[in-house]
Amino acid sequence: MTRRRFWSLLPASTGEATEAILANFLLHWFPARMRSTSLAWTPSLWLGTITAVLFVLLLLSGLPLMVFYIPSTREAYQSIKDIEHVVSFGWWFRAAHRIAAHLMVIVSTLHLARVFLTGAYRNGGAREQHREWNWVIGVAMLAGTVVLSFTGYLLPWDQLAFWAVTVSMNIAAATPLVGPVLRDLLIGGREIGQTALMRFYLLHIVVVPIAMAVLVGYHMWRVRKDGGLARGDAPQDGVEVVVAIPAVARRVAVVTLATWLVVTVLAIVIPSPLEDAANALLTPNPAKAPWYFLWLQEIVADTTVRVGSVVVNGAFIGGVLLPTALLVLMTLWPWLDRSPAAVVGRTMPRERRTQVLVFIALAAFILALTVVGLLRGPSWHFYWPWQAWADVPARF
Amino acid sequence: MARVTLTSGEPGWRDRVWLAVLAVLLVAVTVFLVYREAMPEWREHQQRFRGDVQRRFSDRAAAAVPAGIQQICVSGAGRADRCTTCHLATAWRGFERADEPLRTHPAGILRSHPVDRFGCTLCHSGQGWAVDRERAHGHVPDWPEPLLDAATAERLLPGAGRAALMALNCNGCHRYEAVTAGAEIINRARRLVEDKGCRACHRINGRGGLIGPDLTWAGDKHPEQYDYSRLTGRRSVFAWHEAHLQDPRALVADTVMPSFHLAPGDIRALALLVMSWRRVNVDASLVGTLPRTEPQSAEERALVSEMAKGPGRWFVTTGCYQCHPVSVFGVKSPTPIGPDLSTAVDDVERRFSVPIETFIRTPSGTMKAVFARQFMLSPAQKDEAIRQLHAAYAEYQRQQAAPKPAKR
Repeated sequence: MTRRRFWSLLPASTGEATEAILANFLLHWFPARMRSTSLAWTPSLWLGTITAVLFVLLLLSGLPLMVFYIPSTREAYQSIKDIEHVVSFGWWFRAAHRIAAHLMVIVSTLHLARVFLTGAYRNGGAREQHREWNWVIGVAMLAGTVVLSFTGYLLPWDQLAFWAVTVSMNIAAATPLVGPVLRDLLIGGREIGQTALMRFYLLHIVVVPIAMAVLVGYHMWRVRKDGGLARGDAPQDGVEVVVAIPAVARRVAVVTLATWLVVTVLAIVIPSPLEDAANALLTPNPAKAPWYFLWLQEIVADTTVRVGSVVVNGAFIGGVLLPTALLVLMTLWPWLDRSPAAVVGRTMPRERRTQVLVFIALAAFILALTVVGLLRGPSWHFYWPWQAWADVPARF
Repeated sequence: MARVTLTSGEPGWRDRVWLAVLAVLLVAVTVFLVYREAMPEWREHQQRFRGDVQRRFSDRAAAAVPAGIQQICVSGAGRADRCTTCHLATAWRGFERADEPLRTHPAGILRSHPVDRFGCTLCHSGQGWAVDRERAHGHVPDWPEPLLDAATAERLLPGAGRAALMALNCNGCHRYEAVTAGAEIINRARRLVEDKGCRACHRINGRGGLIGPDLTWAGDKHPEQYDYSRLTGRRSVFAWHEAHLQDPRALVADTVMPSFHLAPGDIRALALLVMSWRRVNVDASLVGTLPRTEPQSAEERALVSEMAKGPGRWFVTTGCYQCHPVSVFGVKSPTPIGPDLSTAVDDVERRFSVPIETFIRTPSGTMKAVFARQFMLSPAQKDEAIRQLHAAYAEYQRQQAAPKPAKR
């Protein structure tokens, strides 16, 4: 402990550090002290914090959008046009909301990958840990992120929204036994209309965000209780510990500002698309699901088999069976992983070679299918990036 | 509890530098964002117009130039047009020769279509919601109604000019008129519809045959709903109609629609007319006293009822007269696209090498489609048709044999 010469943000003792945290509501988020390894840039890459910052940015940018958006099939599209063209900074709020949503899906997936590759879903040497439950919460939050993004997809009520949701609801209906009921419950009827828009809107702005906020709070608390970044060894004497104020707070500020900057710049550079107003009588070609479901749509399309006049629809395999199996497997993985506790926290250790390779292969497979899905053109034909799509017919 | 060493972590100065750099960048980006929002494209036009008004008129006049986003709520059509945000001179006098977007709108048409009630996009198309040039003019992806500008007009109707292309939108509301002042190309196409007898096969505005598709709302058919597999070149609705009117069989293999050997100008006019037959969301406050139906003209009705009293009664009441005259009975056709039935008995023998009885019972060619879709005659009615055609031919032979009245 260095002696204070003049004035420093660094508290003089652990007691003072704890007091600073206790006295301030905002600082309450942080533990009073943490291991210096938890503060490092690697291996965590701070992906969880970035996801949390994106969630906050989404809440903030969503507020002004809520003021101007009208959840009615007659006026939703027009209100988005107004947000885009005449509301002050409206285009930027919309773009930031959209970019942050896409980034949140990407970054939270990367966060999950990092936790898997370092085996951080398992308890290390220390006692009183429940990291496997935090993994389950994390999987639930990834699903919540996708649901948030997906329910937001319908709101502009343009062709993109309407048909992406139509495709997805048809896939949902392929669930055995409960499928049609689930679909009817989600869209409030047999066809996607006003009731569907209202349900998706309420899910998007009330139900899922509140559930997510609760889960985020629990997730963070659990991380603190479990002692920060996972480690294989038990706490020993002489381990380096840093005080939260200012070290952790400063680093969180760096991550927050960096995320904010990236979102702001991308929102300026990448315009938000808005297709023609929704038209239930006209299917666009191709009709694509949101990009994070494209790998599923690709599987659905590829597993749809025609034998003579009999069509075996792939919606069940690609849309229901496969994602459900993956989700269940992922949730249960902490209890299935039998590798030694000592390797917890180490990136891709030799002891977990097989499962790491399978995970990477699976991730590469999903990524490849997503890319193929992105490159699909009219009539679901494959186009290389340098091949122009058959031009869309125009009126003139 | 294990004993620990308390440190300040990694070198704090690195994070401080990062924090400072990020903060400066974020402020810079935010300033750029605010600047961009504060200086939209339209502000420049408004400043220039205020200057122009001040130079030409007075400071007081310049003060009356509106500032900020302008909007015309066209309640009668459910539209909000913001075009006048840039096109400020629309209703001002004295800028007739100025460059766009600050030119006075021609006054004539605005007298009957005041801009504060009709807005802009009903006639001009374009995206009224947008307030930047590119998106407002609507030549962007995902906007199906681009501005009907001079460049588009030159591409579609070479030499005809922008007003000709805009006649497309005139006919949205004026569709039931026989003649619309100022929409010459549409009037020309309407005359063609009458002269060529399109209604013999097509229903238009509630009147016409059932052999071809109903064309009343043909303009609403979406570009993706056309079959372009036999069309070469640009895939557009206009190009499809152009090629189809030129040679229907080239695009639709099994069609019975004949080629009318139209001049290119006529083809373009008709393509435009067909595309103009769209549902337009306008209410009575805009449509006013324009006709809402297109009934048969009084002369035509009188002629038909006159003919129905004569010896050719059967041909009139059955509907044959719509395409075929029967001159020996004094039956005239409004659109004589089929041969005179007076000599059908002889004519059918010569053209199809079958007796009229066989032809009527098992027709071929155009009449096959006509008997299949429009005039579905029972065997008894077909027998009657054969009797009537023989009667007409007998009358023809009688008239040929009779000494002609001597000419003086």
